[in-house]
Amino acid sequence: MSHSTVPRSRTEADSTAKTPVASGGATGSSRKRRPGKLSLRHRFRRDRVLLLMTLPAVALVLLFNYVPILGNVVAFQDYDPYISDNGVVSMLHSPWVGLENFQRIFEDSSFWSAVQNTLVLFFLQLLLFFPIPILLALLINSVVRPRVRAVAQAVLYLPHFFSWVLVISVFQQLLGGAGLLSQLLREHGYDGLDIMTDPNTFKFLVTAQSVWKDAGWGIIVFLAALAAVSPDLYEAAAMDGANRWRRMWHVTLPALRPVIALLLVLRVGDALTVGFEQILLQRDAVGPGAAEVLDTFVWWNGVRNQDFGYAAAAGLVKGVISIGLVLAANKVAHLMGEQGVYKK
Amino acid sequence: MPLLAACGDSDSGSRDGTTSSKDAKKILPAYVASNVVTPDIPAKNGSAVGFTGKLDLATLKTSVPKKLGKGGKVTVMSPFWGSPPKSDNAYYKAMNDLIGVDVSWQNQDGNTYEQKLGAVLASSDVPDVVVVPGWNMNGKIPTAIISKFADLGPYLSGDAVKEYPNLAAIPTEAWQRSIFGGKLRGLPMPSPWAPSIVPLYRRDIFEKEGYEIPKSCDEFMALAKEITNAKAKRWACLDMKWTAWQAFGVFSGSEKPLWWDMVDGKLVNRIETEQYLEAIEWSRKLFEAGVVHPDSKMGKNAPDPGPKFAAGEFLIYPNNISQWWGRTAEQATQNPEFKIWGMDVWGHDGGNPTIYAEEPAGIFAFVNKKASESVIRDVLAVANVTAAPYGTKEYMMTNYGVEGTHYTVKDGVPTKTDQGNIDVMNAYVMIASPAATLAHPDFPEVAKAQVEWEQRMGAFTKKSAFWGMQITEPNRWTNLANDFEQLEDDIVRGRKKISDMQQAVSDWKSKGGDKLRDWYKKILDENGSAAS
Repeated sequence: MSHSTVPRSRTEADSTAKTPVASGGATGSSRKRRPGKLSLRHRFRRDRVLLLMTLPAVALVLLFNYVPILGNVVAFQDYDPYISDNGVVSMLHSPWVGLENFQRIFEDSSFWSAVQNTLVLFFLQLLLFFPIPILLALLINSVVRPRVRAVAQAVLYLPHFFSWVLVISVFQQLLGGAGLLSQLLREHGYDGLDIMTDPNTFKFLVTAQSVWKDAGWGIIVFLAALAAVSPDLYEAAAMDGANRWRRMWHVTLPALRPVIALLLVLRVGDALTVGFEQILLQRDAVGPGAAEVLDTFVWWNGVRNQDFGYAAAAGLVKGVISIGLVLAANKVAHLMGEQGVYKK
Repeated sequence: MPLLAACGDSDSGSRDGTTSSKDAKKILPAYVASNVVTPDIPAKNGSAVGFTGKLDLATLKTSVPKKLGKGGKVTVMSPFWGSPPKSDNAYYKAMNDLIGVDVSWQNQDGNTYEQKLGAVLASSDVPDVVVVPGWNMNGKIPTAIISKFADLGPYLSGDAVKEYPNLAAIPTEAWQRSIFGGKLRGLPMPSPWAPSIVPLYRRDIFEKEGYEIPKSCDEFMALAKEITNAKAKRWACLDMKWTAWQAFGVFSGSEKPLWWDMVDGKLVNRIETEQYLEAIEWSRKLFEAGVVHPDSKMGKNAPDPGPKFAAGEFLIYPNNISQWWGRTAEQATQNPEFKIWGMDVWGHDGGNPTIYAEEPAGIFAFVNKKASESVIRDVLAVANVTAAPYGTKEYMMTNYGVEGTHYTVKDGVPTKTDQGNIDVMNAYVMIASPAATLAHPDFPEVAKAQVEWEQRMGAFTKKSAFWGMQITEPNRWTNLANDFEQLEDDIVRGRKKISDMQQAVSDWKSKGGDKLRDWYKKILDENGSAAS
């Protein structure tokens, strides 16, 4: 899910970044006036090449994002994929159970514990993860020598390309109960560490792993926004006697604000997706009480227990909560005077 | 709840229950013992048969004198542990030549097999043969087996099996387990019903340090504390839960029907017993005492114990008996000091243990229901070769490959070549195997010790009420107890309390556990138990 939103957010970020200092409102309204002048047919003829170019992407979205949505009907069934050779036929023949799956979900304490874990992790990541790429971007941006900058960027991007299995193995080797650090402590008469298997601190561990792996990658969008800020603005500010901090506060941060707002809304939309593979790989190390999130809950019930109807219902509930969160976050963005992901 | 009748004609839909022993008798294949080779140690107390001699290629027998394959093509999907070899490798070619069938493998990662299995069975593209291990038969998979796979009865029931002599020599109890939904659908991989989980230990270090094998749970704890020296990176053991089940006499946890047994005239589930809680509590104490290697805290996410065991980071761990030989072979060249051995299971109070029997077959190969008769015949031809007993040319080919290419023999000891280690892995053995066999010509003393361990422990082994039956639980209750294993691990590692377990058991009862008990009781009343 997060992968599909990345390119979109980048292009949007780029286009908004080109018109810095909140002039978005003006262009938006001038764009709105145009449709009145041209008929739909006219506009279609004018844009047909562009429209044609979007077709493959639209087809893919329809095929892989919209058609599968229909599969959600199994949430209202005791779905048995094995009664025929074809998933659709199985859907037609599986018994309907109405809202029974949802009723079970609402009575299932492990579902609610998964919701709680997911939300706690989301807020932790929002608090501890989200600001870090911004800070890193500002830091990188202040590096003048291109060589140092390129090396720093490469080092920061690199962990993103490691698989989670590798990242967790590295953490385990270093911080695990029998890892390097613990053994060093034991050799010097202290107790070993319990970082990797302590359910109480697990959420911080997961957040730390995410920061280590992906914070560097996250700076790309912000760097693009920073690159779009006209040097004239800095010069003008400097002429007016603004020091480093003033310039950052009055020039750099306002330029980043639309991007930050946009990414924040997108992140909130993905709030309930907090790292499936990463958590599945460590679920047994701390137990589901601390580690079960909605995605692993769905996986466990759907793939492992083959209780597809139940898993689909849990997925649907997750979808509904996510929509609510996006709407709320978008509203907040509007209140802040930003575009958000869409505007009425 | 209607019990499944063997004569039901409808082949589809979800059907639960088991097949009564009377009905089973009509469809079971006749048993014709193989007289091609005589084992050095015959089976006793549910053990495997043992071969402890050297290998002499010149005296290998032939159990399949005439190619039964008709040259058809058969696709097989099976779990595979390790990296699969190229599909046109010399081993596959030689096997296919020997059988006369063009077998084409779809090897899937064994660790994540259940994820693939579910998707493949739900699709319209089911391979000719699908191998399903018992531990992957979760959720709706058992009903999928009934609706998607062919009845092999017409080819194997009664005297029909005699056309395939190696299949006829597979023990009846393994075939009994291959009856799904009233029909003979599976080709079994027989396994010993004697216990399979051995407390393995570093015999070399035990002897050097003068440690004694413990005879009770208290002695084990005392020994564990003596061994542990975290500062020097040494702990006594890994999680001992599996050994605790045996020491405290907890019903087997390997398959859901084995979780039940009759106690004082009442059907009781393992999770309701005192022994179960005591075993968990003792395992927890080991963690609490700090004698368990820290990796064990990670549960199933822990890394492979092999290297750390070899490095002496811990000295005892319970695992499948196959690791006794596996680790021995693994370390033989690089670590000549290394000696892994199995200790006898002790009763928790120092007496004899009560151990519950394992199922006599755990992995099955199934044939697609849509397969034509000629494909089914070809599959049986494959199975007849792979089920050849130790001491035959077919067994050597199936398990070692081509002499000279995949293995060499020196002083009666076959050694796999590099190519052998790549090509000859766990592919063909998945389609039917001979009666459980332990034969390691490279380490005959290990094979001997393994069989003797099984026979000693087998003497303490009891068959529970539903042992040997293939039972399909009703869909709505089949996932009811799935979370218990996790809860056990949580308690043992100090993340949950025994009271959480008691709560979970009472939830289990009210959510359907008591109804499931009635359901099982009815099966027992109508079929009787296999153990009696």
